[in-house]
Parts: sequence; C-alpha cells; structure tokens
Amino acid sequence: MKFRSLAIAGLLAVLASVAAPLLAEGDPAAGKNKTSMCAGCHGIPGFRAAYPETYHVPKLGGQNPGYIVAALKAYKAGERSHPTMKAIASSLSEQDMADLAAYYADAGRK
Amino acid sequence: MNKLLIAVIVGAGFAVAGGAVAADAAAGKEKSQTCAACHGPDGNTPMTPEFPKLAGQPADYLEKALRDYKKGARKNPMMMPMAQGLSKQDIKDLAAYYSSLKGDLKVKY
Repeated sequence: MKFRSLAIAGLLAVLASVAAPLLAEGDPAAGKNKTSMCAGCHGIPGFRAAYPETYHVPKLGGQNPGYIVAALKAYKAGERSHPTMKAIASSLSEQDMADLAAYYADAGRK
Repeated sequence: MNKLLIAVIVGAGFAVAGGAVAADAAAGKEKSQTCAACHGPDGNTPMTPEFPKLAGQPADYLEKALRDYKKGARKNPMMMPMAQGLSKQDIKDLAAYYSSLKGDLKVKY
C-alpha cells in the first residue's frame, strides 16, 4: 500500500517534469540573459528596421507575455515573414521564448 | 482667369493627394470599436494574454502589421479577416490613433 502511493507519487513527479516544458513557465531573470539578440534593435529608442521595409520596430517592454510567445512562434513557423525575426526566433526554444516574454512583460509592472 | 483656374486645379490636386496619405487619429478612434473588443477600449488592456497591447506602439509598425494581415503576409485567423475590411486610409487612421494612446509599452533594453 505504501509502496503503491510512493509509486504513484513518483509517476506524478515524472509526468510533471515532462509536462513542465510544454507549459514553459517564463523566468524573467533567465530571460534577461537571453536578450542580447533582441537589444540591438528593440533596445534602441526610435530604432527603424531597414530591411525589407523601413519602419520603427515595436516596443516590447510591458507587452503581454502570451503575445510575445505567440509572435515568436509565428516567426519560427513562417506565419510572420520578417527575415531577421524568423532567423532569431528559429534559434529559440519554447523555454527561451517564455523567459524572454516574462522579462519584457515585467517592464509594465515597474 | 487662367491663373485662377490653374490655382483651383492645383489646390484640388493637393486636397486629393493629402486625403490619401494623411493620418487622422480622431477618425481612427471612430473606427476602433471593433478593435477595442479584443485589444481593450484603451488599447492597453487586451482581453486575453495572447492579444497584444497597441497603445503607444509606433504608428508605422501598426500600419505594417495591418497591411501584412490584409495581404496575407502575416497569417492569423483572427486578424486577417479584420484587416481585409480596412482601406489604406482606415489603416493610417487606426495606426495614428493607437500610437497616440499612452499605455504600458516602452523600449526596454
């Protein structure tokens, strides 16, 4: 009986560890360490993307975290066509995306 | 007489050209009812975490987003049909309106 509940607990722990990356809880501190590729454009006030069209890049600070993840996934999947963003998003794991989203979303609360 | 005629024609030409490119934030506000249902009445309180805040985003970025949705370069089942119904003028006006609003968005290093 005791063994059985232990086995169930163990099984649940394994399931939780498998499920966790799917849910990808974002860590803002980890996200901060992953922004080096973002900051060259998104970290400069008034910065304009020059290719393939010229326009101001969007502000990320304070943005909804779910939207940032959705945008990065869309770039990675080719549903959004910006070449630079597609290349960058393609290099990110789901955890990276969640961490970055948590970092940028945090700005709105400060 | 001829000079007056030319002045009127040139003036009318400017008026037409001006109307085609100038963004009108007040007109954009009038057109933003549909947007507000999901992005929030202030453009800063979206209904779900998956929807973006728009308030304070650069106008030219918002225009590009709407143009890309309209022509299918940005694929999103919710936004593509919304953008289909917008004229170039609508897009300019909406972008000017949302860009003029103050919200949480900021440049963060």
